[in-house]
This record gives sequence, C-alpha cells and structure tokens, in this order.
Amino acid sequence: MHSPETRPSLIVRLGGAADQSAWWSFVETYEPFLKHLVARQGTPPSHVADVTQQVLISIARSIDGFSDDGKEASFRRWVHQVSRNVVIKYMARQRKQITGQGGTDALLQLDQQPAIDDPALEDQYQHELIVWAAEKVRSEFAPTSWQAFWGTMIEGRPVAEIAGELNVSAGSIYMSRSRILRRIRLVLNEVMQ
Amino acid sequence: MNAWHPSDDVLRLVLDEHADAQTDEDVTSHLDECELCQTRIEQFAESSHGIRESLRRETMSGSLALDTPKLAAPSETAWLADFAVSFLQPTDQPDAIGKLGEFEVQSVIGHGGMGIVLKGFQPELNRPVAIKVMSPHLASIGTARKRFLREAQATAAIVHPNVMPILSVSESATLPYLVMPYVACRTLQQRIDTEGQLPITDVLRIGIQVAAALAAAHRQGLVHRDVKPANILIEPAVDRTMLTDFGLARAADDVTVTRSGVIAGTPQYMSPEQARGESVDARSDLFALGCVLYAMTTGRPPFRSETSYGILRRITDHPHRPMRESQASVPVWMDHLVYQLLRKDARNRISSAEETQRLLEACLAHVQQPSIPLPSEVMASKRPNIRLAILLTVLVAASIPLAAINLWDRSRTTKPPFIVTRPASHPSSTPSEAVGPDFVLAGPVTESVWDDQTKNETTSLAEIDSQLELIQKQIESLQRSLDVKKQP
Repeated sequence: MHSPETRPSLIVRLGGAADQSAWWSFVETYEPFLKHLVARQGTPPSHVADVTQQVLISIARSIDGFSDDGKEASFRRWVHQVSRNVVIKYMARQRKQITGQGGTDALLQLDQQPAIDDPALEDQYQHELIVWAAEKVRSEFAPTSWQAFWGTMIEGRPVAEIAGELNVSAGSIYMSRSRILRRIRLVLNEVMQ
Repeated sequence: MNAWHPSDDVLRLVLDEHADAQTDEDVTSHLDECELCQTRIEQFAESSHGIRESLRRETMSGSLALDTPKLAAPSETAWLADFAVSFLQPTDQPDAIGKLGEFEVQSVIGHGGMGIVLKGFQPELNRPVAIKVMSPHLASIGTARKRFLREAQATAAIVHPNVMPILSVSESATLPYLVMPYVACRTLQQRIDTEGQLPITDVLRIGIQVAAALAAAHRQGLVHRDVKPANILIEPAVDRTMLTDFGLARAADDVTVTRSGVIAGTPQYMSPEQARGESVDARSDLFALGCVLYAMTTGRPPFRSETSYGILRRITDHPHRPMRESQASVPVWMDHLVYQLLRKDARNRISSAEETQRLLEACLAHVQQPSIPLPSEVMASKRPNIRLAILLTVLVAASIPLAAINLWDRSRTTKPPFIVTRPASHPSSTPSEAVGPDFVLAGPVTESVWDDQTKNETTSLAEIDSQLELIQKQIESLQRSLDVKKQP
C-alpha cells in the first residue's frame, strides 16, 4: 500500500536498529488508518495520498525528539503518543482550515505547534480508529459472521431472530461476534498501544 | 451437555481460532444452550463497550451497514457522506449522530455535488429540520462561500408556497449551512425513476407550480440555475410541489464552470448559454423548465449522451427529439409548448415564468374541460399557420380547375386517371412536375413555401411532419367534399 516515493521523506534518525524497524512497522500499520482518517476528514480522494504523506512526515519529524526511557517498548509508546498528537492537531486544523489558511504548506508545520487538549477531538480520533479497525476486520470474516455480529451487537436485535434469518445456530452467533470484537480490539491495540 | 463447561483456556483458544476443529464445534454447540458460557465468552472480548458505541454511531451514516458493499476505494460521494459525521460535534442524545449548532443531527438524508443534507432536530422549537451543509471543497473557496450565503439570504426572502423556505442561515460555522423545514417528500427525480412518464395532468400541475416558484424567484432577481427533477420536491399528502436548492446552484457554478472547466453533477438540464459558460438570466431557468416538462412527459430528459461533454454538445448544437416521436400519445400542443421553452436562442423562448405558468394553466383547463380552447400560443406556431393558409389557398385554387378537368375527364372516360390523386402527394414529391397549366402556376408558390421552411434552421422535422399530415387531411376532406358535390 505504500507508494515508493513516500519512503525517503519518512526516514528518521534513530539510534538503534531495533527502533528503525519499529518505525517501519509502525508506518506499515498506521498509514492505512491515516488514509482512512484523512479521507473522512473531507479530503477529496485525489488528495488523500498527499495529505497522508504530509501527516506522516510531521510525525517523523516529531520523532527526532525521542529519548529512550529504558522501559519496555519505549519507542513504540513514544511514536504512538506522537502520532496521536499530530493527528489531533491535523483534525483541529481541518476544522479551522476552511476559513483560514489551507493546503499542505500548513500541514508541514503541524509538528511545530503545541499539543491540543480537546476532549471532542480525542473522542473523534478514537472513533475513527474504531471505525477503521472494524472495516479492516470485516474483510477477515465471512459475511454471515459479520451480519450476525452487526445485527445483534450493534443494531441490538435478538440473537434468536438473527439466527433464524441467517439460518445459523445461536451458538455460532455468540462465537463469531465475540471473535469479531476480539479481533477489533487486537487491531486497535496494535495502533494505540 | 450443560454439565460440561469449557475452561477459560479452551475458550480463549477457540476465540483466537487456535483450537482444533472438533473443540471448535463442541464449544459452539455448547454456546447454543449455555447462557453462562455465552456471558463468559463475551467477557473475553474485553472492554467492548467503546467499540460498540462507536459503531452504533457509525451506523447512522451507513458506511459500515450490513448490505452496503465494503468501500474499496472511497468515491467522491462516499467521502462526502462520511464527512458529515466527521465535522459534527459529539452529542448526548442517544438517537443523534452529532450536533451542529443548536441542532441534533439524526441522519444523513442525501448528498450531491454542492453539499450534504442532514436530518436534524431543533429541541428549542421541538421540530424536525433539514440542514444543508456546504461541501468543504466549495466552502474553502471564498467567493463560492460568499455567494452561497448571499444567495441563501436572498432565497430566504422569497416567500412562496412553491419555494422551499429557508428558516435560517449560518455563516459562522466552519462550513456554512442553511436550515429548512423537514418535509416528508420525495423528489420528482425519484418519481420519474419509479413511475416513468407521468400523466399529462400531473405534468401540467407540477409544471405550473415550478413555473410559479420561478416567477417568484425571478421577481426578486434571483436565477435558480439548477432547475432539475432532483431539485423539485413533491409532498405526496397534499400534492404540493416545492422548488429547492437556490443558493447552492449559484455557488457551485463559480467553481465547477469558471474555475476548473469541469462540470459537477449532471448537465442534462442546463441551458445552451449555461453549457457555453456564458452569463445566464431568468430565461435559462425556462429552458431547464422545458427540459423538466419533457422528462416528466416522456420519462427521459431531452438531451442524452454517454458523456457530460456529449450532453453539452447536444444541448448547444442539436434540436431535441420531439416528444411525439417517442410517445405518440403526447398531445401536439404539449410538443409545441415544450418546443417554445427549449429554443436554443433565449430570445425566442416564452418570455417569462409568469407567461409559462399562464400557458400551462390554460392547457390544464383545456385537458380538464376540453370545451375550453387551448391558448393560441401552443397551437401551431404563427408562421407555419400563414404558410398553411397560403398552401391551402393555392391548393383550393388548383383544385377547382382540377375538379373541372376531373368532370371533363369523367364525361369522356369511365375511369378517372391518376391525376386526381396528384394534389395529395404533391407537397412531398418534386413540385415542378407539370400536370396541367394551373399546376405550372402553383409550382413556384409551393416551392417558395418549403424553401422558407428549410431556411429556418430551428424548425424541427416533426413540425414539418405534422404540417404535412394536416395538409394531407385537408386535401382529403376537400376531395371528399368535391366528390360529394359531383355525385349528390
């Protein structure tokens, strides 16, 4: 999914080889989410790749400030914290952008701005992550499993009703919906730490 | 079976799909019956509350809903609908997807090239509302934004039963939006899509109301610019028609035509001057109204092509296909009326929306009470009338000696030769063929009549056809009457 030209601009100066590979594996998981979020922020499809790259570059720049605290998965925790801050800044800007300055030039300075403490945006970030994770997980399951999960857990319809509709046992509905929820949780953990 | 419960470890293995097939099957069928284990397995899914809440909120926008196919690549319309959710403020209301100003937003009703329409609720006044939000790619353009607001305010000033009222306009928000009453209705486009061509009385009733709405707008100096079935709402209960989407059309126009040279949405109802990117006035709306009448009458818009460009070329360069060619049941006067709205040159169209409304009303009166005569404007247009008169005079003049020849012939032979049938076929065959001395005289006159017609580029084939048909009938009846005179 990565465009090759994204790579050079995303190279960050990191001490250890372990951190280097951690960074790349982060980009691997985070970039698809970022694309999803950028698209849903109202960016026309033709600009999504561009804006995604700008946000990633901002994240990469902020990472220069990383110092190892010696605890477990130090770099991963750091990079997730940084990316979350950058993305929330991006979302805040996106809200204001329509009246003020816009374009990628403005995005380039995301890493130079103070962090934003806005519970609404935090919620929004969380929400987007969940929607993205659900969409990702959806493709891993059979359509009937997804329908069972969606019908009973999200739409709140009785298990027996859905079981009859899909012609599956109640047991398999409990099984597949728990599996789906668990997978969504795992995907979220990968990104949120 | 209930006596046996799987251990935590087994449950976890099954959940992660690491258990063998037999265990998997056993646990699944155990879950059928055992409520305890149903609860247990759900606990393994861990704090799912947040996930479920988020997804529930998401169902409102429909992007993850059951039946919709997964969005592989976000399309232009899909991101717009998704966007609706992303700019709303969070809300405490369980049935709302978010908040916009004082309104609780409940769902996304629709979206188009210009913006998104949301269904909202105004708690203070306890009423449902429709909120039209300008789409972000337009809102980021200063002039489009200003236009949107100005036109919205102008629209708010039109108070007319056939114009969708605007309750308020908000410009302070990041995206400007306007608030309208929420009316359970469907668009004319939806009606045409499901029913196809409409009965002529419905065509006229809807046409009258749209013309009335346009008249009200034009009196305020406001040109709609985007009159099309999708912007015409029909309230089923009271059979009222409302024109909507005034300001958005103007705002979009700035971007879509003058800025990028690309036209958003369907250009099928554009006027030729609009298609050419020239300045437009009220008469442009009348052309669009003509297209709408055409679409209602036949079930299809007058100018069709595979591509937008193709449609534009048809609008500017080609005459529309007369409705009677595809639907023989369409009255001739309806074709005439629509023809006068679809004139390429704005100066030749019916002069105003008021006038159009008057004509449509007169036609409706005629349909409902056939003894009421049709307005002369929708009968055969004036010039052909004169031509017809000349032609008939000529033919009558020609027929008298013909009859004489005929009588003379009869007195000599028992069977008349083919000469008698000549006048009937004459206009469509070469006119100069001399049959008798009188026809030599008649030839040039008829010829000049047809020459005149071919010079008039906008004259449609159907008009000629209908004239021919008329002439044919006149001649036939003339002959019959002559025959009657001959053999009383």
